[in-house]
Amino acid sequence: MMITRKTLPRRAMLRGIGAAVALPFLDAMSPALASSKIPGKAPVRMAFVYVPNGIDMKNWTPAEEGPLGELPRIMKPLEPFKKDITVLSNLTHNNGRALLDGAGDHARCCGAYLTGIQPQKSAVDIKLGRSFDQIVADKIGSQTRFPSLEIGIEDARQAGNCDSGYSCAYTNSMSWRSESQPLPPVLDPRAMFERLFGKRQPLSPEAKQREGRYRRSILDFVTEDTHRLQSDLGPTDRRKLDEYLSSIREIERQLERAENDNARLEPALDKPYGIPADFAEHFRLMTDMMTVAFQADQTRIMTFLVTREGSSRSYREIGIPDGHHPLTHHRNDPAMIEKVVQINTYHVQQFAKWLEKLKSIPEGDSNLLDNSMIVYGAGLSDGNRHTHEDLPTLIAGRGGNYLKPGRRIVYRKETPMSNLFLTMMDRMGVPAEHFGDSTGRIDGLDLA
Amino acid sequence: MAIRTPVVSFFVGLLAAPLLAFGAEPASVGFDEAVKPVLAKSCMACHNARMTAGGLNVASLSDASSIAGHRDEWEKILLKIRTGEMPPKGIPRPDGHQIEALTKFVESEFERADSLIPPDPGRVTARRLNRVEYRNTIRDLLDVDFRADKDFPADDSGYGFDNIGDVLTISPVLMDRYLDAAETIASRALGANALPKKPVEAQYQSKDKTLRRPNASTVEATHRIGWDGEYIVRIGLPGERAVDAAPVTLGFWMDGKLIHSQQVETKPSKLVYFNPYSEEEFRLVLPEGDHVFRAGFIGDEFVKTLSKEELYKDKTNKYLNMIAFVGPFPAKVEKASRKRILVCDPASDTACVDKIVGTLARRAYRRPVTTTEISKLSGFVKLAQDEGQSVEQGLQLAIRAMLVSPHFLFRIERDPDAKDPSNIHQISQVELASRLSYFLWSSMPDDVLLGLAENRKLREPGALEAQVKRMLEDPRSEALAENFAGQWLEVRNLDSVKPDPQKFPDWGPELRDAMKTETRMFFESLLRENRPLSEFLDSNYTYLNELLAKHYGIPGVEGPDFRRVELATGQRGGILSHASVLTVSSYPTRTSPVIRGKYVLENILGAPPPAPPPDVPALDEESVGNAGSLRQQLEKHRSNATCASCHARMDVLGFGLENYDAIGRWRTQDGKFEVDAAGTLPNGKSFTTPAELRTLLKDDLDEFARCLTEKMLTYSLGRGIERYDRRTLKEINRRVAASGYRFQPLVLEVVNSLPFQSRRGEDVEKEIAQ
Repeated sequence: MMITRKTLPRRAMLRGIGAAVALPFLDAMSPALASSKIPGKAPVRMAFVYVPNGIDMKNWTPAEEGPLGELPRIMKPLEPFKKDITVLSNLTHNNGRALLDGAGDHARCCGAYLTGIQPQKSAVDIKLGRSFDQIVADKIGSQTRFPSLEIGIEDARQAGNCDSGYSCAYTNSMSWRSESQPLPPVLDPRAMFERLFGKRQPLSPEAKQREGRYRRSILDFVTEDTHRLQSDLGPTDRRKLDEYLSSIREIERQLERAENDNARLEPALDKPYGIPADFAEHFRLMTDMMTVAFQADQTRIMTFLVTREGSSRSYREIGIPDGHHPLTHHRNDPAMIEKVVQINTYHVQQFAKWLEKLKSIPEGDSNLLDNSMIVYGAGLSDGNRHTHEDLPTLIAGRGGNYLKPGRRIVYRKETPMSNLFLTMMDRMGVPAEHFGDSTGRIDGLDLA
Repeated sequence: MAIRTPVVSFFVGLLAAPLLAFGAEPASVGFDEAVKPVLAKSCMACHNARMTAGGLNVASLSDASSIAGHRDEWEKILLKIRTGEMPPKGIPRPDGHQIEALTKFVESEFERADSLIPPDPGRVTARRLNRVEYRNTIRDLLDVDFRADKDFPADDSGYGFDNIGDVLTISPVLMDRYLDAAETIASRALGANALPKKPVEAQYQSKDKTLRRPNASTVEATHRIGWDGEYIVRIGLPGERAVDAAPVTLGFWMDGKLIHSQQVETKPSKLVYFNPYSEEEFRLVLPEGDHVFRAGFIGDEFVKTLSKEELYKDKTNKYLNMIAFVGPFPAKVEKASRKRILVCDPASDTACVDKIVGTLARRAYRRPVTTTEISKLSGFVKLAQDEGQSVEQGLQLAIRAMLVSPHFLFRIERDPDAKDPSNIHQISQVELASRLSYFLWSSMPDDVLLGLAENRKLREPGALEAQVKRMLEDPRSEALAENFAGQWLEVRNLDSVKPDPQKFPDWGPELRDAMKTETRMFFESLLRENRPLSEFLDSNYTYLNELLAKHYGIPGVEGPDFRRVELATGQRGGILSHASVLTVSSYPTRTSPVIRGKYVLENILGAPPPAPPPDVPALDEESVGNAGSLRQQLEKHRSNATCASCHARMDVLGFGLENYDAIGRWRTQDGKFEVDAAGTLPNGKSFTTPAELRTLLKDDLDEFARCLTEKMLTYSLGRGIERYDRRTLKEINRRVAASGYRFQPLVLEVVNSLPFQSRRGEDVEKEIAQ
């Protein structure tokens, strides 16, 4: 027999030092969340799940328009959710195209994805536009602790240039707070956990209040310093400090909400430990916490950049040693296409697991998924030729009692993706006249 | 408070004078011969007064004087013609000679125009500390090792480097992390918060998948050390080897650095077990934070004799399956950070508190601080005391405030008039000290440097040169190898590449780290020993340990320590034969002459190939199959004229490196095909082996020196190279050439250059127009 010197139950030990291995926790969560149940009608949430390098459209697009029949291979994992998804065809991001700017489709399609704007081609002079999620967050974000959350999986550590003269900022982030301020996604499950539940062990109420006072005086101190510093700076330096100040204000606001929020989130779960090597495990951890964030109404808006556009990650988990991006330049080699399809399907599988979780959480008469609009898609359709039309797009959920899923809707060719966002803005209670390169709203999404 | 020297500086004069003498010669072929016919034949059809396609009308570009006057248009025209984007299909295309003549003429006109305007130092945007700089600065300020790379979101990079002011943004997420980090760091530095009363144990085991297994002799886990302190580390070692098996060396690494090793017996213990099992344990002082811990047998030859099935069988092998940490126990010695901070006893009086706070703030802000600033910071100590906390807890609070202050997080340089672009001035000596230290150390200035700057002695004759020399000798200049070379040579990407374990079973973290170490030590030796730049391209020595030497097939190198090794054959020499470089420029499954060729063009020759024109798919490398060798397939593709213009140079350079496989091993066969590493460059020079290619590259040392200068200037300034920097580059290059192309003169000339020493006000109108 094997002799071990363990004297304490392992989980207890781990919790003792504030670190723990990743363990499933959702079931354990529910009682803790009871206090934060939202009275009245459940709010509508939206999220964007972005996968890179296009999707093999032959194996993505359902054959028929209208009610969904047999799902194609990549969508197969969504079979149990056939009645919960709406597949949209022919949406296009014209501003992902070159339009005289030359190469760089990967950077451009990701930059344009939520902004509807063509990124400025520069390594450092980054200029895009406010992204759709941030425009909505500006209006409704004040109702929750976090106006929005940005999540990702793939670390952006990549030296050298990104894509053909475009700054890496365009592919490292999909949410843009201002035209020059990308919001980098949180990649580490532990960092995400700490963001949601706080970094430290629970403090006593007195210690918590004292810490609140400390933070406030520190923030006051640096704000005053910054104002003094800013007075004689040039415009660019001043802009840098404006970013700093606006981030400080955001923290102050969070602090205020946390103080007024008596039903604070107390996690009945172990803190996830670092970044798992396994893709599915990482995906699960992040989406578990995204679920909690929606469920406890910590935010209503999230973007999830699964891996970076142009990603060359290899998928050993499913026996694919080649990089994703080089594979998508398959030049119609069937063996390579097969691997691309496998990666595409693997992504959808993970997504399906998330949907399952969302659907399992009741909210009033319906469930969390029903009250959400989760857009899943890519900034390119054919990754081999870098095409920007007919982007693979589906929406999961009903956005409250709004969408009528279970169908595929085919729009007129070249319908701007921005039209979808403009339409979604109505549903989020932030109607606008125009967004990005929108030409109007799209039909067929609502019940009417 | 700083008093500034008059605007016209020594350095401006220094640079401007030789430049005039060195100015461009007038071109021998005129506008009418070199430019006009091309415009008329290839451009006029669309870019005329009536159509003005793309907003361009070449009719207004009718003589040589238009070149300087319409600079932006001309830059665009050159780019489009050179990349082949223009003229479009169906319009007569100028031939290679015509393009060259036109380019040469236009560029000489640019140069002539540049020599007539006063030198421009440009302007560096306020830089936020990036993750590496933050970590190093905390280390040097407080003696605390804080893993900012684990805690903060990744920094964006521009021009290939992650220290570029314009793209270092701040988001609420980052600000949140800054606040948390400040709290953690302050409490670690002073340790005024108590350790937990009872030590706890954390275990990582392969059976519940909390332990990674990079290869058969290694296990790895990411573990968060909760407190600075001493820990018992325990390694689980199931199984046993043959009766005559030799002992192995068990190594223990933290974040890639070997921090402990000991001998371990592997033969049967003769004790009666159903499952043979042993444990090893040792005590180590470990720093708080997330760390990657690795345990493994160093240079384990035995496992190579085993089949896959035998690797994890208790009867056939001794292997690793568990890492456990028990702690913390209070470390016996007082923390260095406490000694550093507590320069007097803060409990004695408030004057001491002011002294402690003032000393820290000066170093944290990297400049003299005012009494108002000190009293505001000391106010935090009082605040904590009013809340009933100790004076040390109060100091922790003051440190927290400092660490989130913009004076700490940003490197901001001041101008007499920030909105006057004609106001060129030297940066202050204190600002210069920070530029120097963040360039050479990726960290704050030390007391010597800051002291010199505060006493205004940094610009005395010889002072800067002496400081640069001193700083390069200091171990902190490892940062230049780590961050400058790591990004320039893309060696940092070794952390994200994933060679196929089926094809490359040798690949593992030990080999990866060895590759990094070789390149880092090689770079450092060139730098510290002031060696010729040509050795980057070809050298007769490198740095190896046993593992990497075996990888290279070089005999006689034993043990895990790195040492300088003379190279006896032509197989290796210079960075293009380093496994690190060869691995980051390959696919996971195989080599790519295209990627390697592009790598050489970008990082060695400073001639990045233009991106492929729109609608031309990337060269089809991936269809390489059984029809022919990779080389044959690539050559077939080059028969396409559009691709050929760039790939003719790019691929040939890559072919010259085909003797190295995708993880840098020497080979003469690629699968069933013989490696053909011969090639002829577009300039007619040819080679047959990697050694001959290196000789060719070395022949044009100036090209490499210019490339390196541009990369280094970019990195040192934290901004991209602008048009007006070209004369600075030329001048640095001229002086480096005069020094015999040695390394330290290059660093020194960068430091002495106009843009490093000076700045100007911002062109507000231009900024708004953008």
